[in-house]
Amino acid sequence: MNMAAEFTTEFYLAALPVLILASMCVGILFFPAFKISNPNVVFYYVLAAIGLTAVSVFARGEDASLLGGAYLADSLSGLGQILVLAIAFVIAVLIGETNFRGQFFRTEIAATFLKTLLGMIVMVASEDFITLFVGLELSSIGVYILVGYAKPSRASLEGAVKYFVMGSVASAVLLLGFAFLYIATGSLQLRGMVNGSEIVSDLWLQFGFFFLLVGLLFKLALMPFHSWAPDAYESAPTGITAFLATAMKVVIMVVVLRITEGIAFFEDQWAPTLLVVSSLSIIAGNVMALAQSSIKRMLAYSSIAHSGYMAIALCAIGYRAGFTYQSILFYLLGYILTSLLAFGTLMWLEDEEHPNLHVDDLSGLVTRHPWAALSMAVAMFSFAGLPPAVGFFGKFFVFNVALKEGLYTLVFIGVGGSLVSLFYYLRVIVHMYMYPPSGEQLKVQPHSMRLGSLLAASCVAIVLLGTVLPGKTLELLRPIAMSLASDP
Amino acid sequence: MIEWIDSHILSLIIFMPLLSSGMVLVPSDKYKAQWLAMGGALITFLLSARVWGIFDSSTATLQLVEAYHWIPDLGIRYIVGVDGLNLLLLVLTTFLTPLVLVSVWNWQQKYYKSFLSLLLLLEAGMIGALLAFDMVFFYIFWEVMLIPMYFIIGIWGGANKIYATTKFVIYTVFGSLIMLVAAISIYILHFEEAGFYSTSLLDLYYISNMGANTQALLFAAFALAFAIKVPIFPFHTWLPHAHTEAPTGGSVLLAGVLLKMGTYGFIRFAIPLFPEALLLFSPYLLGLGVIGIIYGALMAWMQRDAKRLVAYSSVSHLGFVVIGSVAILNNRLSEEALTGALYQMINHGISTGALFFLVGMLYERRHTRMLADFGGLAKVMPWFSVCLIVATLGSIGLPGTGGFVGEFLILIGVFKVNSAAAILASTGVVLGAVYMLSLCLDVLFGPVTNPENSKLRDIGATEKLYIFPLSALIVVMGLFPNYFLAKSRESIRHLSHHLMDYRLTVRASQASKDTALLATSRSRQHGDLP
Repeated sequence: MNMAAEFTTEFYLAALPVLILASMCVGILFFPAFKISNPNVVFYYVLAAIGLTAVSVFARGEDASLLGGAYLADSLSGLGQILVLAIAFVIAVLIGETNFRGQFFRTEIAATFLKTLLGMIVMVASEDFITLFVGLELSSIGVYILVGYAKPSRASLEGAVKYFVMGSVASAVLLLGFAFLYIATGSLQLRGMVNGSEIVSDLWLQFGFFFLLVGLLFKLALMPFHSWAPDAYESAPTGITAFLATAMKVVIMVVVLRITEGIAFFEDQWAPTLLVVSSLSIIAGNVMALAQSSIKRMLAYSSIAHSGYMAIALCAIGYRAGFTYQSILFYLLGYILTSLLAFGTLMWLEDEEHPNLHVDDLSGLVTRHPWAALSMAVAMFSFAGLPPAVGFFGKFFVFNVALKEGLYTLVFIGVGGSLVSLFYYLRVIVHMYMYPPSGEQLKVQPHSMRLGSLLAASCVAIVLLGTVLPGKTLELLRPIAMSLASDP
Repeated sequence: MIEWIDSHILSLIIFMPLLSSGMVLVPSDKYKAQWLAMGGALITFLLSARVWGIFDSSTATLQLVEAYHWIPDLGIRYIVGVDGLNLLLLVLTTFLTPLVLVSVWNWQQKYYKSFLSLLLLLEAGMIGALLAFDMVFFYIFWEVMLIPMYFIIGIWGGANKIYATTKFVIYTVFGSLIMLVAAISIYILHFEEAGFYSTSLLDLYYISNMGANTQALLFAAFALAFAIKVPIFPFHTWLPHAHTEAPTGGSVLLAGVLLKMGTYGFIRFAIPLFPEALLLFSPYLLGLGVIGIIYGALMAWMQRDAKRLVAYSSVSHLGFVVIGSVAILNNRLSEEALTGALYQMINHGISTGALFFLVGMLYERRHTRMLADFGGLAKVMPWFSVCLIVATLGSIGLPGTGGFVGEFLILIGVFKVNSAAAILASTGVVLGAVYMLSLCLDVLFGPVTNPENSKLRDIGATEKLYIFPLSALIVVMGLFPNYFLAKSRESIRHLSHHLMDYRLTVRASQASKDTALLATSRSRQHGDLP
């Protein structure tokens, strides 16, 4: 095919998000040349970049596969890009309302942030290994920098280095997997790798797929590949932690969903492995969260457990029913909302003296900041999976899928994990509502109107998704799930 | 207007408290919030009285049904309906809530508005769980009841509140999670058998070929959740703590309605869904019920704290309800026993509610609930004494009170099934007289030993407003049981006679005839609908 014929209007429309974000990303690098260093300007520039990109996601028409199948614009990539951009927008606004604003909206950090986003929106739309790897490295390196350098301190540098070392190993493993898969199939395509006629060697294929999945599980922080997560979460500035916990999960989950046909093909090997990984994550994540007093660290372990719950549905993915995908995406949606609420509330409460809040710091919070306490409580109930919060339906759908596939052990582990998790989620609520106030009081960020309304909106969304909207949401996710389930 | 209300009346009853629960938080002064809460609760009560009025008691059909799609991908629907089994409990709930609101009218506690809001949220949860005929919908409300109670005990509770409330939540959630797994399993079984997804109870009743083992397992899972809520003997340990630490209003609703959700769950879910498993488990449940009756009574006898005493008496009384609900003879539930159990749920709600109110009054005046601190109050507080005696007699089950009717019916029914259980259970009645009368004796009679007691004021106008209706009702329910039982008779007979092939037909509320069809896709196939 003639390459020139590809560069049509459709091409540019489909690639628009990447083009816009990339040029905005380059644009910000010129700020120092014009001596622009006002955080306000940078702040609005970042918001504009994210907003424009998000709008351009809607501009594309039909599903399109660009550059010989390197970049795929379909409904799943659209969902992934919108989610990532929405998360980034919310987090940027949240950071803009805290005292982290001045440090975060420096040109170099903001540029890194945009570059990370660029990597992410490339990654969710990648259809072959090269694009995937480029996107992954763009975003990973960006995140390492954000964790360590956005607000430099001894702890955050330590966390960043740990994350960097472990992350590099994971990237290497992933790359090795790509290489093996290339040997086996002679193709760089993500899809169709198991049913191509050119499969040379089954062994290479298996090895390649093994490394590929291990790399992804690492990035999802599932046990036993989780060890970077607690340190990175705890030491990073809270805004970055929130970004790490939500956007990164979305991106990797989308990639995992794209390779499910591989999981299905190697079901005999992968179903038991994923089973072990997800039960380990649920058990150990929840049990270790019990022992934490730092809230961010506790949420890190709890996010490991939540990845475990999503992996329950992955175990059932061998059967590739549409509802399995719907349930994973729904769980992801609920988890993102809840995480944003929890971390957003933490950002609201933090100050210079309390960069890393402990459960004790929240004692008697309701007497001083009833709204902060309420939004934290909503987040905790949602994480714990108690109705009427969205967390309940996430778990309900996942259990539904698992029981349908007869994964009884896993469901009971999940139920046990939920019960254990109740102890530490309730502990936060008990401290906020039932303990007398602790000696020194937390200050709430002064200009918090915008922040408060964002948090209120996510509270409302969490409750609505748990009561009125789950049916509608599932309907919206249905076409995406169907396209995944019916892939060749 | 009336027609519209009638056709959406059950939804209105659920969402009225929910709405006022939110509105209570809006006004800044306490007075307006109080009236908003009271208005919401009273409208809810009036609506439920309307349901009582238009309810057709000549049939076991599910009435006033409203059904809407909720999560179509999974066949989950919003279905509410009323029949003889939940009507009485519905009215009890809507009746008790305004009384609780009156009882906290002059409360000087922190976060007063939030307390009102949580009470109404609790009411909405209880009503929703009572009226739900969809498994998932039921489960949501079942859990929604939990959160307000958690805060009510945890924020406004006594010294040991955090332990009590955490234990309450962990126990309940443990049971509910197991129930959730069982509910999903039965949903999948239904799909495999019928070929379409539905969580509607009306459809699930149709499942016929479940293996015996599956049935036993699922029954056990449901029974565990309900047994924890009731609570049945070995699972009761959360109850004394929760009751003792809860503020008075919380205790009243906990004892009055929340515990009944467990026994109601047995009658509505566990028993009709898994009848063969019930045949298997019935003797054990009877045994546990009897142990609960005697153990609860003995524990109550030992208590020196009046509130703890009443709490343990609940364990004992609910034992009666349990044995009444599971007495089974020749593949039929004993009709007398079931009637008694249903009646006893209401009686217990009223008499124990009254007792908690009365103990709360004592605590407000003296800041102690120890029996030893009182004595001779009969002379000092005559009206209080009259009410306490009426509530005590109702709790004991003296002829002329509702408790007598309920316990008598239960014992007759159980005696035909298992005479040993009935005889043992009847010792609980005797023990009940012992501990309740000794409570009366210690508090009301004898000399006034403590000078502080001689100056206590009798119950005031506000207090009369909520304690008199309850006391009167105890007597009314004893003298005119038929007025109440007539509402449930057909439903009870239907459940009892058709235990093995229990189905419910549906009568839609007038305006939503079309939506009723979707409530019962299964029964439509079978041509059961008129």
